[in-house]
Amino acid sequence: MNYAGPPDADILEFIAQDGCTDEQFHRLALSLFAYQYHANAPFRRFCQQRGATVRNVKSWHDIPAVPIDAFKIMELRCEPSTPAERVFMTSGTTRADMRGRHFHPRLDVYDLSMTRHFARRFMRGVARMPMGILFPDEVAMPSSSLAHYLALAKTTFGSDDSRYFMSPQGIDLDGLWQRLEQAEQSGEPYALLGASYSFVHVIDALRKAGRSFRLPPGSRILDTGGYKGQSRELPLDAFYDALTELLGVPRELCINMYGMTELSTQFYDDGNAVVPSIKSGPHWIRSRLVDPATGRTVPDGERGILAHCDLGNFNSITTILTEDVGEPAEGGFLLLGRAEGAQAKGCSLAVEAFIQSAAS
Amino acid sequence: MSVRRVKAGYLPGLSADEVQWHVLPFTQGAQRIEVEVPVLSSAQMNALADRVRRASALHLKTLSVSAIIAIIDRAIARLLDRDDPYRRQADALLPVISGYDAEMVRLGLTGFFKTFRAPQLHRFVVEDFSNPLVLDAFQPAPKGGAVRAYGPQLLMHSWAGNVPALALWSFVCGLLVKAGNVGKLPSAEPLFAGWFAQLLAEVHPPLADCFAVVWWRGAGDDSADALYAQADTVVAYGGNDALQAIQRRLPVTTRFLAHGHKLGFGVVSAAALDTLKAPALARRAAWDVMRYDQQGCYSPHVFYVQRGGQVAPRTFADYMAGELANLQRRYPRRGLDLAESSAVAKWRQSIEWQDAAHSAQANDDGLIGDHEAAWSVAYVDAAPVLAPTASQRSILVAGVDALNDVAPLVANGGAFLQTAGIASTPQELYRIAEQLGAIGVTRISAIGSMSMPEAGWHHDGRFNLLDLVRMTEIEQSAEVAAEPFASYEP
Repeated sequence: MNYAGPPDADILEFIAQDGCTDEQFHRLALSLFAYQYHANAPFRRFCQQRGATVRNVKSWHDIPAVPIDAFKIMELRCEPSTPAERVFMTSGTTRADMRGRHFHPRLDVYDLSMTRHFARRFMRGVARMPMGILFPDEVAMPSSSLAHYLALAKTTFGSDDSRYFMSPQGIDLDGLWQRLEQAEQSGEPYALLGASYSFVHVIDALRKAGRSFRLPPGSRILDTGGYKGQSRELPLDAFYDALTELLGVPRELCINMYGMTELSTQFYDDGNAVVPSIKSGPHWIRSRLVDPATGRTVPDGERGILAHCDLGNFNSITTILTEDVGEPAEGGFLLLGRAEGAQAKGCSLAVEAFIQSAAS
Repeated sequence: MSVRRVKAGYLPGLSADEVQWHVLPFTQGAQRIEVEVPVLSSAQMNALADRVRRASALHLKTLSVSAIIAIIDRAIARLLDRDDPYRRQADALLPVISGYDAEMVRLGLTGFFKTFRAPQLHRFVVEDFSNPLVLDAFQPAPKGGAVRAYGPQLLMHSWAGNVPALALWSFVCGLLVKAGNVGKLPSAEPLFAGWFAQLLAEVHPPLADCFAVVWWRGAGDDSADALYAQADTVVAYGGNDALQAIQRRLPVTTRFLAHGHKLGFGVVSAAALDTLKAPALARRAAWDVMRYDQQGCYSPHVFYVQRGGQVAPRTFADYMAGELANLQRRYPRRGLDLAESSAVAKWRQSIEWQDAAHSAQANDDGLIGDHEAAWSVAYVDAAPVLAPTASQRSILVAGVDALNDVAPLVANGGAFLQTAGIASTPQELYRIAEQLGAIGVTRISAIGSMSMPEAGWHHDGRFNLLDLVRMTEIEQSAEVAAEPFASYEP
């Protein structure tokens, strides 16, 4: 495979198949690398600085991992811009030019990647179920990949009575309480999906109102994204204990999704009975732990910064370097939070502190 | 793996089994040191502060400044003696604690200790007191009357551990003004201050109860509050958040001397860039970057280099890269943890991507050298405003057309400014110094001396000793009014 044009068809086929061999993964990763190396000039320059070329990149491990900051600084894309493309942007600062942008000329690969894996990890054999979404819809947040993800979950896997519980004023708590009561009475399993901080608001509201629900067996929760300063910070154990206590969903069925705007594929755990839980992805994404200073894979068993090679990223770059600290675990990795950057020691000055003071 | 257990701190009047101990582990390669730091109850802290205050009134405040200098000089002489057990202990343990290269620590300590010998300390005192005797007794004041300086009864230090033995500065300042000293060890380097206290007590036993060295976790608990309540002056080093947290806990009447984070930079004139002098200058600049891996408040982060000399700014950056590569072989950088490594990577990547984003125009910008090297030199032709690099031997070299361009570029640094290293002609030096001084720079040194402040320097532009004392004046009126009451008056 050597692509002159976009490689979507091969990727769609790859995602649709059940699993893959190492060899198959390598082959598609390398041909995608060759395509992106030729079609994406900034990426090519980055590779050249690292001494990586189409000739000497022999496995997916060798593909230089592009730091996610690069998505903020430049347009990382292979196909030219079209009116129909979707642009997902990272949250964060209000300055638009400092938000990372991920260009999707078409969403077929993203959508297939999402639905294939979501079906297996969250739906677990159930075709459709009623869903409540604790996040704005795609109209309110057209450039949020999470808004698209949740919309896709609702249309593909939600039964007809699924709905959003988000208004411009915040979460529609009365509506949500009514719906949860109804689920309790009907005995039909219910799914709540949303940002982690939305669930914190729900927890706080339930505590304040002195209410709790016992959702029917088979009900489940999907939270994602952490708190992002949008709510108070809850330790993981306290968070999942509260969900179990207040909504009646066992921690085994509280599933956390780890995704990024810069990726087209998500990771899940198999519940959060034990935290931190082991996260894993489908066969079209592979991860390694690297020393960020050198980009090299850390010795076996050591902590490192997560680098992901996502074959769903056909238009940007397959391999990204995150700012998340990971630790190897059976069948996947443990996510240990963000590398906060070095804390300033004594009277020397760390970059973050300087930026904060310059901004204030 | 060899494991060594060491007790830290210095607690006069308390035996080891009376206090609790907390273990701080440090590992470098096959060596592990477990430092036991004391955890005091507030009653113990109160008693300790009392003891130090009383003993210093009896045994320290009664010594002349010259006598105190002689005592410190004897202690420093032992620290400068490579065969002295204290020095051997410092040479052996501080590299493991800090992670810095052993030879770099040894060189750094010797250079540092030299600034605390008797002649240097006398100079130190005279920098702040034109008549040092004012610390010993009332001295005639030019306006009439007399004046005397009193140091604090209880001076509390909150030390930082970014550079080994850093506690020595403020500890010695406290001694010179005859204060009872209680210092809080930094968790990053919890050893040196306690050793120095012990050594002083050994050199001059009557001083044994005049100081104490303690520790607490993080911002501290009730015992910290007990000490904060008793100290009449507090000197603290650290980030602005940590400093503010301390300040909030102090009574409003307590004098608070804060040394926050600082940021250094260098300026190189075209006049210094001939083919003979430029390589030597780059070598000295590289030393300033290498010393303690840029963890000092005086360490440079950016060199602004003037265009138009025989050696172009980009070439100067190449020289620096070469020198840093050499220094890496002699004094390798300390091993980085994941957070430090991420910070370095993030800084390097920001340069790489700026560069890739501007790929259209050919230029000299970019990182120099191998991306896996344990040092980073970046060159930018369009000089940016001053900002810290990721440290750990990361330096930005930027081209400027005129030396006058530098002050506007660093003005944003404001309260973070401290040291500027300058290589220029004498006329240029004074012109640039005027401009930089006006915007907040407090120390101008030669390049190569940025990370080696001279004895008696005014840390952050303040008076190290004068800020610690209070003056008591006998006004002329009192003197005149006393005259008639003398027995020999008619």
